[in-house]
Amino acid sequence: MGAALLVLLLAAAPTQEPPRPSPTPPSSCLQCHLELGGQAAEPVAGMRDDVHAGKGLSCHDCHGGNAAAGHDGDIDAAHDAAKGWREAPTRLQVPQFCARCHADAEYMKRFNPHTRIDQLGEYRTSVHGRKNAAGDARTAVCIDCHGVHGIRAVADARSSVHPTHLADTCARCHADAGLMDQYGMPTAQYADYKTSVHAQALYGKGDLAAPTCNDCHGSHGAVPPGVGSVANVCGSCHGREASLFRETEQKKGLELDLCIQCMVCHDNHAVKAPTPDMLGVGPRSTCISCHGEGEPEYAAASRMGAGLERLRAGLADARGRLERAEQAGVEVSEDQFALQKAQDHVVEARVLVHSFDEERFQAAVAEGAAVVETGHTAGRRAFRELRERRIGLGISLIVIVAVIAGLVLKVRQIEAD
Amino acid sequence: MSTAPDAPLRRLWGWLDERAGLSALVEMARHKRVPLHRHTLWYYLGGMALFLFSIQVGTGILLLLYYRGSAGEAFESVQFIMAKAPFGWLVRSLHSWSANVLVFVVFAHMFSTFFLKAYRRPRELTWFTGMALLGLMLAFGFSGYLLPWNTLAFFATQVGTEVAGSVPVVGRFALRLLRGGDQVTGGTLTRFYGIHVAVLPALTTVVLGVHLVLVQRHGMSVPPGVEDEGRRTGRAPRTLPFLPNFLLRDAIGWCAALGVLAALAALFPWELGTKADPFAPAPAGIRPEWYFGFMFQTLKMLPGHVLGIEGELLGIVAFTLGALVWLVAPLVDRRPGHRASRAFTVLGWAVLAYIAAFTALMYVKS
Repeated sequence: MGAALLVLLLAAAPTQEPPRPSPTPPSSCLQCHLELGGQAAEPVAGMRDDVHAGKGLSCHDCHGGNAAAGHDGDIDAAHDAAKGWREAPTRLQVPQFCARCHADAEYMKRFNPHTRIDQLGEYRTSVHGRKNAAGDARTAVCIDCHGVHGIRAVADARSSVHPTHLADTCARCHADAGLMDQYGMPTAQYADYKTSVHAQALYGKGDLAAPTCNDCHGSHGAVPPGVGSVANVCGSCHGREASLFRETEQKKGLELDLCIQCMVCHDNHAVKAPTPDMLGVGPRSTCISCHGEGEPEYAAASRMGAGLERLRAGLADARGRLERAEQAGVEVSEDQFALQKAQDHVVEARVLVHSFDEERFQAAVAEGAAVVETGHTAGRRAFRELRERRIGLGISLIVIVAVIAGLVLKVRQIEAD
Repeated sequence: MSTAPDAPLRRLWGWLDERAGLSALVEMARHKRVPLHRHTLWYYLGGMALFLFSIQVGTGILLLLYYRGSAGEAFESVQFIMAKAPFGWLVRSLHSWSANVLVFVVFAHMFSTFFLKAYRRPRELTWFTGMALLGLMLAFGFSGYLLPWNTLAFFATQVGTEVAGSVPVVGRFALRLLRGGDQVTGGTLTRFYGIHVAVLPALTTVVLGVHLVLVQRHGMSVPPGVEDEGRRTGRAPRTLPFLPNFLLRDAIGWCAALGVLAALAALFPWELGTKADPFAPAPAGIRPEWYFGFMFQTLKMLPGHVLGIEGELLGIVAFTLGALVWLVAPLVDRRPGHRASRAFTVLGWAVLAYIAAFTALMYVKS
């Protein structure tokens, strides 16, 4: 049975590989561990889909020892310290254990010339890494995220660190109240994230570009973004908004404090899709959470909210009018295309909210309103044409009926004669 | 020298008559008479088809002033016709509605001819040319459907040409001939455009000319039942002068048809849809024009294989054989009132019921 599995494992090895770093004779590690079964066989079974095995690496590439010996059951010969045999590392040793290869540029480039080799360095800057270095074996090490035997490439959809699984992987610890309590950390991040617009995009639409934990917190260098860097983190994707935000800071010569960082309006893990009613002074407005009635900012928010709402309502109205004209048979596709420009202005105005510059915002709204007005004009023209068509049809039918009546009378006259 | 106001016209008539022999044609028209009986109404369908065809020619020429027959410009040119060209929407809508009404009238004309046994000797050639004209009208419809280069037309043409490609022996050749390659492309559009505005009009002119000459040569057929009644009662069938009585009655029908077409065009302008994208997946509910519906639905419902023969192939062979039987009806059905002739009448009703049912089914299923 074990021998059969060994043959299968060898047969399943990729046919096109980079040069194997070790000699190719059958490994005695596989043979013995399979024969032992149970816990001893688990690493071997996991290796079947392991990215390392796929690259031609085997047990002794990590654990050392003599894989060519031990076929006769001589464990000591296989686990020969003189041949570099290493026991499984402790949790505190794991980062360094993996880094023996992963931080070795010369070695790693044999497999992929573009691969990164800074993971250990980054890890040491992370909260996980710092605590690990300080002797805390409970914090995450490589194997907690990537697995031990059976590690898959990040791009493999079955990998625990693939974007679609990463949040679950982080949540294994960060949603564990027992563990997080020891560090005084909250555990709601995962549940919050799952309700966010980011999670909807990632899981609902399958958009792998949508952010998950590591896109904001980093992977190996995982740290919570500091207050001052939140806008930079969000701005790595929402560049225009971040740039407007920073412009405001520079123009006004002030260091915007906590009050107006992204998360104040948009939340952090539970980021919701921004809606127009977040602007203004309505019940769902985020402006009024900081600005009270009587403040000039409150009045500005009110004007901006009303301006955006007018533009959106006008656009919907113009669209509806053109759609009705289209359904009535008037060709308005060019006008509908032109009206799409107004939607661009709506988007632009919503982005300009992040400049906190009412003048700029209202200019975008005014430009959009001009386009909307063109759409209304086209809609009115279409309906005028529709009326003219029906009047023309009425007149034509009157003429046709008159001609038919004349012809009937003529036929009767002829046939009476 | 005459001083009457119509003197110049008389001189013009005299000049033309001397050279073209117009008096003889007028004399023939004056003497032409149309049988008057309970089935006379069906005689108007031929004239109606001719009237609708003339609308097709007129509106088609007007559309040619703006239409551009290439994949890059076809859709936009039709869009321009519908939105910008003066009365372009009216001309295109009339062209499209009239085309559909024309096909319906031609079918009705064919079935009335069939049921009234008007194809019997000596009118076999009139029947053959009539059938050829029906085929030409369907070809006009098929080729014209693609010209706006919209999504529905694109995929319907893909399906339609695939069916042509399934014909045994010549299928592959027919498919490549129609498409101008293996796929429906801009080359297919250009090809269909040429067929629609040059090849088919030329063929139709010839076949229609022969058909009309044969109709004049043999006059209107009197149904066997009416002839029998005449023989039994000993009374000669009543007739109606073609000029002006029948022509004026024809004109009443034409005016009514024009009114219906104007109303359809004004109230339900022909849709343009979205521009064809050869790389987009076929939208759901693709179906051909209604007059190909019964064939489309039949092929769709046939199982993959019947007795080891590919279902679609079997369907196409059956349609081809059915059309051949229909075509040669005048050669087989030679004795009106005879048992074989009654069998043809039953066959006609069965075919009519089948076409109506499967056309309706196509709309229900999609």
